[in-house]
Amino acid sequence: MKKIIGFVLLCIILITACEKDDFCIQNPVTPKLILRFYDANDRTTTKNADALYVWAEGKDSLFVNVVTDSLVIPLNSNTEQTVYNFSKGNVVEQFTINYTTENEYISRSCGFRVIYNNLSFTPSNNWITDFSTIETTVENQNAAHVQVFH
Amino acid sequence: MQHMFKYFINFFLFFMVVDAFSQEQPKDSLANLNDSIVYKSPYGIRLGVDISKPILVSVDGNYNNGFEIVGDYRISKRLFLAAELGYEDKTAQEDFTNSTAKGSYIRLGINYNLYENWLDMNNEIFAGFRYGFSIFDQTLNSYKPNVVNGEGNDVPYFPANLISSDTASSLNAHWSEFVLGFKVETLKNLYVSASISYKIALSIKEPENFKTLYAPGFNRVFDSGTGFGFNYTISYLIPFSKK
Repeated sequence: MKKIIGFVLLCIILITACEKDDFCIQNPVTPKLILRFYDANDRTTTKNADALYVWAEGKDSLFVNVVTDSLVIPLNSNTEQTVYNFSKGNVVEQFTINYTTENEYISRSCGFRVIYNNLSFTPSNNWITDFSTIETTVENQNAAHVQVFH
Repeated sequence: MQHMFKYFINFFLFFMVVDAFSQEQPKDSLANLNDSIVYKSPYGIRLGVDISKPILVSVDGNYNNGFEIVGDYRISKRLFLAAELGYEDKTAQEDFTNSTAKGSYIRLGINYNLYENWLDMNNEIFAGFRYGFSIFDQTLNSYKPNVVNGEGNDVPYFPANLISSDTASSLNAHWSEFVLGFKVETLKNLYVSASISYKIALSIKEPENFKTLYAPGFNRVFDSGTGFGFNYTISYLIPFSKK
């Protein structure tokens, strides 16, 4: 009888302890929006934005004083609009992104990811002169979704 | 000298004959008398319940309800027809999803007793095979879109809200199962049994834009379509005959 109880306990421990068999190794699960900065005069060459500060409306800074020609920024999955502020030098550009969200199931460990469809952009044109939408869907982070000219 | 050899040869031959004679059984021995007692073992139907399920209900907060009736019927010295019938209600709490599966299942198959009993004991170490079938509902209760920022699992810039969903899907599952266990007769006709099982899914219906994470009777569905089970039962034998 003691052996049986031992066996039962062992089985219960084994079954309850071995719950986690998979980890989410996909990174990132929900893709981010990629912006690429181009020269407004020569629209085929990339151009760094200097002293760039990035923050979303009502939030802390995401990037502080960076020099880069591409930005990778998350979109708010709870709403259908995210308003970003891009500050170059001391000029603040308000960049509004509108979209619809779609939740797609991936796996037990990764859960659902968000795909952003029907992307549209509205810059305030303070230092950004123009933009060109490459992808209207944020489904992966392989390439830039939007080109920004300045 | 020649006489001498003859003498020896005859002497050995004589012993050979004596030897051979001594090996023979006397005619009036007890050779045909059966001096061993044949122990008869009971044949009948054995019915019981899985008592690990009520224990799980009280211990595991995600195991909402579970009940299983087990039975087997002996058809030959070592072979038993076996069946399990049950109901389960279990919540799968994952990192990003919370879903509940509930429904009924049946498992049918055979057990083969590998154990040679001593005297009149009726214990078993058995190996078995089952076909399992389950009809159930899986409800995705809520989920949180995975917007976690990279591998460091730091707080995302826009944390996602928990989304309440209440989408139920009617699902079913078929599987085959290998069982290994033992049965011990603790009191007259009362058996305690424990077994473990390895299940291989034949087909599992998947819900739309989600996955079947748990199937009653199959338990947690692993990525490879396999599952593990454990039974701890108490059953009573209703003997029909002794053979």
